[in-house]
Amino acid sequence: METPAIFWGVILWMVAWGVLGSILLRRRYFARDLDTTNANFVGAMAGAALGPVALGALWAKTPELTGRIIVAFALLAVVLIAGAFAFADPQNNCVANGSFVASQITNGLIIGIIYGFMALGLTLIFSILGVVSFAHGEFYMIGGMLVYYITAVWLPGINPLLAVLGACAIAFMIGALFERLMLTPMYTGKIDRPVEYGILATFGLAFTLQYFVQAIHGASPVKAERFIDFPRLRWPEGADPLWIKSSRGNLTLFETISISNPRFVAAVTCILVLLALLYLLHRTWTGKALRAVSQDRDAAAIAGIDPHRMNMLAFALGGMIAALAGALLVQAFSWLPQVGAIPAMRSFVIVVLGGLGSLPGAFVGGILVGLVEAAGTGCIPDAQKAASYIPAYGMIVLTLTLLLRPTGLFGRRFASGAHGQ
Amino acid sequence: MRITIVRRALLASVGTLAILGGAAQAQDCPIRIGALAPLSAPGTVVGGEAMRDAMMLAEADINAAGGVMGCEIEVVIGDSEGLPERGAAVMERLIAQDGVVAVGGGYHSSVGVAAKDVADARGVPVVFAETWNDTITGDKQKYIFRIAPLSSWASGTIYQFALTLPGIEKVAILTENTDYGIPASEETKRGLAEGGVDSVIFSVDIGTQDYAGIVNRIMAESPDMIITLVTGEAAYNFTQQAADAGIGPLDLPFVTGQDALESGAYWTNVPDGQYAFVQRIGVPESQFTEKGKAFAAAYKEKTGKSDVEGYAMEAYDSIAILAQAIEEAGSTDGDAIVAALESIEHEGTLGKIYFPYGSQKDPSEDGKGDEWWHQWPDPALTMIQYQEEGQASTDAAIVYPDAYKTADPVLVNQ
Repeated sequence: METPAIFWGVILWMVAWGVLGSILLRRRYFARDLDTTNANFVGAMAGAALGPVALGALWAKTPELTGRIIVAFALLAVVLIAGAFAFADPQNNCVANGSFVASQITNGLIIGIIYGFMALGLTLIFSILGVVSFAHGEFYMIGGMLVYYITAVWLPGINPLLAVLGACAIAFMIGALFERLMLTPMYTGKIDRPVEYGILATFGLAFTLQYFVQAIHGASPVKAERFIDFPRLRWPEGADPLWIKSSRGNLTLFETISISNPRFVAAVTCILVLLALLYLLHRTWTGKALRAVSQDRDAAAIAGIDPHRMNMLAFALGGMIAALAGALLVQAFSWLPQVGAIPAMRSFVIVVLGGLGSLPGAFVGGILVGLVEAAGTGCIPDAQKAASYIPAYGMIVLTLTLLLRPTGLFGRRFASGAHGQ
Repeated sequence: MRITIVRRALLASVGTLAILGGAAQAQDCPIRIGALAPLSAPGTVVGGEAMRDAMMLAEADINAAGGVMGCEIEVVIGDSEGLPERGAAVMERLIAQDGVVAVGGGYHSSVGVAAKDVADARGVPVVFAETWNDTITGDKQKYIFRIAPLSSWASGTIYQFALTLPGIEKVAILTENTDYGIPASEETKRGLAEGGVDSVIFSVDIGTQDYAGIVNRIMAESPDMIITLVTGEAAYNFTQQAADAGIGPLDLPFVTGQDALESGAYWTNVPDGQYAFVQRIGVPESQFTEKGKAFAAAYKEKTGKSDVEGYAMEAYDSIAILAQAIEEAGSTDGDAIVAALESIEHEGTLGKIYFPYGSQKDPSEDGKGDEWWHQWPDPALTMIQYQEEGQASTDAAIVYPDAYKTADPVLVNQ
């Protein structure tokens, strides 16, 4: 960085005013008997973005803290950080090189969609069962392994779509079986401490799945072949630069943004399945029943919904979503039995960021984490450190979320009486 | 009366136990030799399993030939998990609990750096098989030996090769932030700079899967060559993702990770990996010694692999050389084994293994640095290139150095 003093000076200013703002505004809203849920977050963002001016205005007026105000201040804070960075290091790739920025944003967006989709499964399980599934990463791994085995070992030459469907079906059954055997006792009053039990049971499942696969498959990395080959496309004809250019394994937009085939296919499939999931949850009886159970178990039971069946469905569905993410990414990454650990950790970060129990929150959270990681990897001036700190970027976001807005971006304010109590 | 009988019976049984115990001490079979290998995440399990298979073959071969000092040997494998604190704990356990008289194996440098101090403090000799960090022998500890090449020397082969290629002005180095990766990358950068070539280093955690952001950044640097120093499947992920983005082995001179030597896994994971360069320790299979060929055949049969990795051969030799040292010393005492190792000549699968520098001759007498202490000076280091798609690493062309060269390198950017 050319002048780190500028950047760190601005950050210090923002942190100081953010802390002050968060404390003061909450006190002010509390003293005036107003809703304090968002006061911490808005106070911090307003203080960081516009300093004493915004804080003074908010203090005086104490307006209702709508979503628009929250988003506006948060965006302003981000813009200020970016601006300070641009002034402090004008030679940085992130500032000077437009195509680089576009590529990084696209990368972050694409991988964020896939991560967000996987986190969706986790939040679904939590919102309905109240159990944090520590086996989520292993379902991701199983999905990938099954697709590899189906397409390369058991039924070579089979249509990859069938392999993906097969992997999802098997993962669904594993999830349903596990839930029925190990998690149902939590709801029938047989377990003293259901929360801890749920954690330990899913931990146990995680170890069992990982080492079972390692025992059978071994530790060699494997990868499935690309599912589809893109057609050779040049559109529009004769334009300079070409808007879309595609070869078998790659898609290039405006001749600057390069997206690899496997990731593009995975992201598009995730979006389609997400839309299908939303349809399921909002337009079908089963989906409405799932949402009912997530809001209030007992009331749902009184209304005639079988919570046990909904639990089984939710866990199986959540596991299947993780397996689908894995099934789509096995064509992009090398697969090993240990491959689920990092995505699982990332799913936790995303779920907390988006709000436990919120489906759109998980998706938006995933995209945010993807973008933050892309920004960190691309913009941090020290090449040697930039990539090493990748796990930390998500953790910084997580820490800030927990400090300023513990319920997450879209989280519900009140817990919904989960895990059978 | 009954009490006297009971007391006599007790005395008799105690006496018998004491005699038996004494006899067991004198016999002390089987002789246990410990071994470190990464067998679970985040260690490189592929490497650990290869070494484990090789070391169990060594145990079988040695026992079939009559064992050591009339006893069978037992190789006790400890899973280091690739973590230094775990490695130190496992070393402690092998010595204190399992009663090993010496230790072989070792894959990750960080594990070696941590575990060697434990063994040295306990007076248990260690012959490290595949840990490259210079300080492992550079600390000049009495009980520590090494077969694997020095990291500085291995980096030397790579950058000297890079300097022979035309048109290379800027190199991007991808490394792992471990005790192996950081010194290796810095040594490579230094060596390249001496030859007038600029380089930029990117480091990642072991086990990183998604390289899109880093590949983007490397592209923004417009390098003429890429050198990969990460181990394990991370190298496969990086190489293929670089290829997807247009800066892979088919686009510019690209040195990929050592795990590309397992060609079956390499071509599955990196379908666009043709023309990649790989560093290999040891001579090509066609030049193996008789012992090397015998080992290669047995290893391939046992594991079903098409190639023998250099680290598997090092692991085999680490156990075999310890067995020979114990036999020559005529005792399992640590100091006796060390004395035997310092003067040993062992015909291993990698060639003749010996340790010229030690307490009898300091490396400085020949103008060499401390890292040559208890270091085997001869592992052959070559650069190979996969010039045909899908070929086995044993069939790959050797492009450097001239002593082993079989073909000129194919340069995709010329």
